[in-house]
Amino acid sequence: MCAESNIPWVEKYRPKSIKEMALPTAKVEGHRVDLAEELRSFVKTFFLEIKKINKANKNTRGYNRTVGEKEQKEEAKLDSKKAAILLEGPPGIGKTSIIYALANDLNMEVVETNASDTRTKDSLQKKLNETTKSHGIMDFIVQSKQKLILIDEVDGIYGTKDRGAVPAIINLVEDTQFPIIMCSNEYKQNLQPLYNVIRRFEIHPLSEEEIHKITKHILTKENISILKPEELDLVIKKNSGDLRGIINDLQGIIQGSNENNNKELIFSLNRDTTEEIFTIIRDLFQKVNNLKEARDLTNKSDVDYNFLYQWVNENLPTFLTFNEDLAQAYENLSIADEIFGRIRKNMYWGLLPYFYDLFAGGVALSRKRSPPTKGFRRVVFPRFSRSGALTAAEKDFIEKITNKYEISPFEVIQDFLPFLKRLSSSSRKELKRISEWLDLDAKEKKLLK
Amino acid sequence: MSTDIPIWRIKYLPSKLKEICGKKKCIERLEEIIKEKNFPHLLFVGAEGIGKTLIARLFTKEFLGENHDTNTKLVYADVPLTEEERKLAKSEAYVSTSKIGSMAGKKITTPAFIQVKVKPFVQLKVLGGAPFKILIVKNFDVLGDNQQGFRRLMETYGSNCRMILITTRISRIIDPIISRCQIFLISQSDFVSFSHLLKTIANKESLELTDEVIEILYRISDGKIAKAIDLLQLCCISGNIISSNSLYEFVNTFKNDQIRKLIEICFEGAFSKARTLMRDIIKDYKFNTRQFFSHLMDELINLPLSRFELIKLINIIADADFRAIDGRDGDIQISSLLSKLCLFSEKM
Repeated sequence: MCAESNIPWVEKYRPKSIKEMALPTAKVEGHRVDLAEELRSFVKTFFLEIKKINKANKNTRGYNRTVGEKEQKEEAKLDSKKAAILLEGPPGIGKTSIIYALANDLNMEVVETNASDTRTKDSLQKKLNETTKSHGIMDFIVQSKQKLILIDEVDGIYGTKDRGAVPAIINLVEDTQFPIIMCSNEYKQNLQPLYNVIRRFEIHPLSEEEIHKITKHILTKENISILKPEELDLVIKKNSGDLRGIINDLQGIIQGSNENNNKELIFSLNRDTTEEIFTIIRDLFQKVNNLKEARDLTNKSDVDYNFLYQWVNENLPTFLTFNEDLAQAYENLSIADEIFGRIRKNMYWGLLPYFYDLFAGGVALSRKRSPPTKGFRRVVFPRFSRSGALTAAEKDFIEKITNKYEISPFEVIQDFLPFLKRLSSSSRKELKRISEWLDLDAKEKKLLK
Repeated sequence: MSTDIPIWRIKYLPSKLKEICGKKKCIERLEEIIKEKNFPHLLFVGAEGIGKTLIARLFTKEFLGENHDTNTKLVYADVPLTEEERKLAKSEAYVSTSKIGSMAGKKITTPAFIQVKVKPFVQLKVLGGAPFKILIVKNFDVLGDNQQGFRRLMETYGSNCRMILITTRISRIIDPIISRCQIFLISQSDFVSFSHLLKTIANKESLELTDEVIEILYRISDGKIAKAIDLLQLCCISGNIISSNSLYEFVNTFKNDQIRKLIEICFEGAFSKARTLMRDIIKDYKFNTRQFFSHLMDELINLPLSRFELIKLINIIADADFRAIDGRDGDIQISSLLSKLCLFSEKM
């Protein structure tokens, strides 16, 4: 391979110009816009406006110097919506890339800060003020490159380290000399003040066809043919629109593959899918023979243990059929649940190993009599309903009753409704009287049956 | 107008404090308060379904007179907040400017329940000519740790708003709250006034009711009038003469037989079936884990088992209930209990 082989493909194939990149769809307040056009015009109008404002401010400054301080004129400021924009979208769809490509097209220099820099008020100001306010000595001789400020990963601002960063950014937006573009993955509440002053672009993932085109382009450039089409599909599917993830995975697969184990490799790169949970549950009940194997299984998997032990709960009776085994398994599972509750309540993370051993090993190895169930068993999803949540029909019904008769919603369900059911089932006449009195519609009448 | 109401327990709902039957002492005290036109925070304690809320409601109505509607609010502590209310509570969190040390600059949140349901009402000024507002909090014991939040509220806004806290279990209420309240113990109505009330109802509905039947009713309903009236109405479907036989018949069918069925299935050893039924019951009745255990307990005690076996069963339930305190998933704890019941029947 070429000499560049040690740089990540993601960097290697980062588009140099907007023209050569596949543009993700962007929306502003629900309306579709052409991202490239919007960005270009944003930068252009910014420089036009800032020129005007600087000129006006020069005049006011001259005025302020001659007139007494009390009568100082306000300096003009650029509308913050014209000074900065925010691109918001899932990771890896090309937000940063498009900005670099744009800067390249317009012959600008990108000044970037991202989550790896601490962003306290001071450090942000230091780094950016240098670039935003100063005009170097060389400016007189050479037309220096215009700058574009990129604040990447704004949603990474949190915690004590970045305290004051949001007001700092807002300050910066208010008196910047260069256009600012921010990137963020998701809506964050602590960024609300920022959202109020700037324009927000929602960026949506690329379509699968586009992604296919790009990956094929990269694979032909790299001269690679060992990957079968269905394997490529698998890689694309599991990353769901994250182009960067796809390219990274591809590189990982190509560099570590030897023809045969491609599929296994893809699965090992696989992150968190239900398919994996299915196999874990099956392995846990059907393959595991000792505690060590159970441990290996839970250690290897990246599935969130929050979910995993609920899956175990749901599928226990499918795999253990004797009541003795079941009771033993549930004994262990319920202790695991209790331990987990205490871990979460008091932050006793040291107890986590017991939790793992009990809900995986303790449950799977409770089988004393029954031989491990052989063959395919259906694994089902755990139910995620919160007990005590009322359905819409029940809510309406309760409201109608409480309008007439003041009792609490739970009393209606647990105490009053059974009585009404009983009464209305005695005769048609009663049902009619009750439903007329409560003004029930057909759907709510069903609750009485 | 009132004759149109098809449900007797609503039809014969008292509309004045005086009409409430069988709680003479309590009513006298409350009427004294109304005369004085002032009272401290109140705490109503009494068993389920004997009319605490009704008394509180009628009391506030008579105390505030015409200013009643705008100056009272009834809050149910056991109704979970909706998603919107949660969001609202979160958005109202504020950054402290007065705290120093590690709390400086941190977001301060009051418990969502207090933030959304209690504070807005308590902080508003009294409307009209009323001396103060009245907040009624039902099932106060459910609040648990959130009770702490009430301590400050009761002091800071005490002059603006009095509270009537209603609970079934005084042991679950923290001491500082108890010390801030005047306690009203509300007992079930005595037999004399109970039978008097039922006789007047029977008269109005032209029923024939013997003293013997009333006695049985009193025993079955634990002196809870609403429950007794419900039973009476069910019985009279079959005719105007109510005998003790028909009464017993209805009591048996009226009872919650779902849980009994669940126990039967468990004793057959069919775990999967039991679990499905258990989930249905919880879905239908909106029981939380603790309520479910207590209903199961009520039903188990009536089983025809030897006392040793009963104690064993109680042990199993107690164990599950205990684990559910710290556990995160109620379904796991209840399933665990069911699996043990299934095993228990095998060993019997």
